[in-house]
Amino acid sequence: MSSTGRRDRIGPSRRALLRYGAYGATAAGVAASWDRLTGADIPGRGGDALTVATLGASIDPAAQRVLREGFERLHPEIKVRLIPVQATDWPDFFAKILTQIAAGTAPDVVYVATEGVQLFAENLGVALDDRVRRDADELREYFADVHPALVESMMYEGSLYQLPVEFNAADMYLNTSVLGGAGLELPAADWTRDEFTALLRELRSAGGSGLTPYYWTNRLWGGVVPWLFVNDTNILSESKAPGGRWLWDEFYPADLAAGRGGGYRWTTPQATSAPVAEVYDYLTELIQEGLCSRPEGGGGNNLVGVFSTGRVGVTPAGGFWAGGLHEAGMDPAGYDVRFFPRWRSQRHQFGGAGYALLRTSNKPDEAWEFIKYSVRTEVLEALFQANQTTPARRSMVDAARYRETGPAGWRTFYDTLDAFPDTGPIPAPPRVTEVELALTKHTSTALSSPGSVRSALRAMQNDLEAAMERDL
Amino acid sequence: MSGARRGRRRGVGGPRHQRAARLLAAVFLAPTVIGVLVFTVVPIVGSVLLSFFRWNVIDSPRWAGTANYREMVTDSTVLVSFTNTLLFMVLAVGLQIFLALVLALALDGRLPNWLRTALRSAFFFPLVLSAASISVVMKYLFNQDFGVVNWALGQVGVSPVPWLTHETWAMVAVVLVYVWQQFGFSLLLFIGGLNNIPREMHEAAAMDGSTGWRKHLHITLPLLSPTLLVASVVGVINALQVFEQPYVLTDGGPGDATRTVVMVIYQNAFEQLRFGSASAVGVLLFGLILAMTALQFRLSRRFVHYQ
Repeated sequence: MSSTGRRDRIGPSRRALLRYGAYGATAAGVAASWDRLTGADIPGRGGDALTVATLGASIDPAAQRVLREGFERLHPEIKVRLIPVQATDWPDFFAKILTQIAAGTAPDVVYVATEGVQLFAENLGVALDDRVRRDADELREYFADVHPALVESMMYEGSLYQLPVEFNAADMYLNTSVLGGAGLELPAADWTRDEFTALLRELRSAGGSGLTPYYWTNRLWGGVVPWLFVNDTNILSESKAPGGRWLWDEFYPADLAAGRGGGYRWTTPQATSAPVAEVYDYLTELIQEGLCSRPEGGGGNNLVGVFSTGRVGVTPAGGFWAGGLHEAGMDPAGYDVRFFPRWRSQRHQFGGAGYALLRTSNKPDEAWEFIKYSVRTEVLEALFQANQTTPARRSMVDAARYRETGPAGWRTFYDTLDAFPDTGPIPAPPRVTEVELALTKHTSTALSSPGSVRSALRAMQNDLEAAMERDL
Repeated sequence: MSGARRGRRRGVGGPRHQRAARLLAAVFLAPTVIGVLVFTVVPIVGSVLLSFFRWNVIDSPRWAGTANYREMVTDSTVLVSFTNTLLFMVLAVGLQIFLALVLALALDGRLPNWLRTALRSAFFFPLVLSAASISVVMKYLFNQDFGVVNWALGQVGVSPVPWLTHETWAMVAVVLVYVWQQFGFSLLLFIGGLNNIPREMHEAAAMDGSTGWRKHLHITLPLLSPTLLVASVVGVINALQVFEQPYVLTDGGPGDATRTVVMVIYQNAFEQLRFGSASAVGVLLFGLILAMTALQFRLSRRFVHYQ
């Protein structure tokens, strides 16, 4: 009877009903969230977007939106995916890009600074020559607004690889409160190394133990290199590659184009030459006198705080510092900027940056549209509101830009290029990472004592020779 | 009846059941074994193979035979980095174990339970933080001109110490930051080891008149020796692979004063695109770690005692 009753039941059991209900709910949930599960809802994800890698620390989310949305408005058929890469400095950024390349996820376009221009050009970059020529009319206004020294710094062996977006030369920042406390006026634009030294001594006398008159960071940009430049020397001998006439004849008048070539060549190591040793002797003397400390390596991130609070009197920096000091709460009248002091010359060093097109890209034409877009005035205006760099466009370096942040001497930033046309990029051959390591490593040992200079420079010479001879 | 019993016995221990048990064991072990193979063994083999090539990740690898090893032996930077790493290992592991042992013994003494718990947590906390972020903060603290450490030393009349810019002091600073972060792990091991010592052993020692330092030397340390072995082996392995602290604090400087082997590997591989050279250095470091570990296990036969 009971067996008969069980067989006679109609419809599925409650357990079966619950089980099938759960299956259905699960399937519905998976279907509804399929985009999220597969990551398809990430903007630009997938193979069809133009990928652009930028240094994450130098571009904020609002600026990223400007870069992407403005471009997509202009080119609705091209989707852009911005990849901000967090890095402590440029070599760190390049290391991460190279890691992506090694992993097979190379971006189409990379924001590349002077430190990487030739490294990328030799191994990874696409020359822009044909595209620049083809779109010459569109770019004429841009080149007229950009100093040729910046353009030349982005050439390699006769070809152009990037359009300069920004640059920073090593000028001298002076804390006017510290100078005022010592009863000193701002120096003249053509001040000399000896006047600089005298200024530091005055600051030392007036400031006491809590003040560091001169503070600098050991790195390729703005460390020893500005002093090498004003002493008319470098750790690697400089020359110009042939070529480049296709660009200079087309875009620059003869007087501005004179002496320009196809990009810099840094070849023979000369770390042991007398002018280089003279620079190191001078810096060692400053340290021995207590006018500055042995420099730390790294990006100098803690320097803004100590300068803005009056514990540093003078330091080399570029236009990027104006925004940083402002954010640190410094009054625009609290600091000013001057050219680097003159020694045998007053030639300055700078670093620049722009977008490079990678050979691995399968969207070169779309990438080129992005590169052209990246140098438009309205784009740069949106990107550089915070004054954390110097625009490559001369027309953008104006009083309005620096009214809120200072410095009063803002003209110095672009005048560095106009007043000293031979101003050039930091030495950055394709072997730049080994060159930078050799420079920073042996600079720190050279400055440990006056007797260390010669032996450290010999070691630097050996390392540079090994680096320049090595196949990549 | 006897037939039924015989049949049942064969069924329980039969070949089918044994095969099923072995299959089940294999299924349960598979995730771990596959994980070790994929993430440990394959990369090691790949690294050894790569050390015989020149590869810049852009072009195809080119066979180089033993050139990477020959260049490595003559590269002064590589040799200095091994010397630095060994020196760092001795200083860091020695200081780490000493500090951890002293603090563990102190915490094992008479303390209110709440204080003991608070101190244990405080000492362990640095271990869970990112080594890189700690080093960034320490870089500010140890700055020669503006750092809090030199400010504090100045208050007691000490001249500013060039922590990050002097060859000797830079190594000291890196060791201090590393030990500050890492010793919490050794401390945990020693606390566990001390708790594992039976109370009767201490009571018996006290009956024999052994107290204080004599007790620690003759009773506690021998009984802690297995824990000491673990702390030493793990400490040495970690120290030989140190990277974050010298990279962030001193960038391997001044000169090469704090450049470690892993820094050289990183710089060769990712900054200079010399993956073959980097792999060769990595293989050598692997061999060194293996040798140091084997040496400690061999020494343990003489010095490590089990209850």
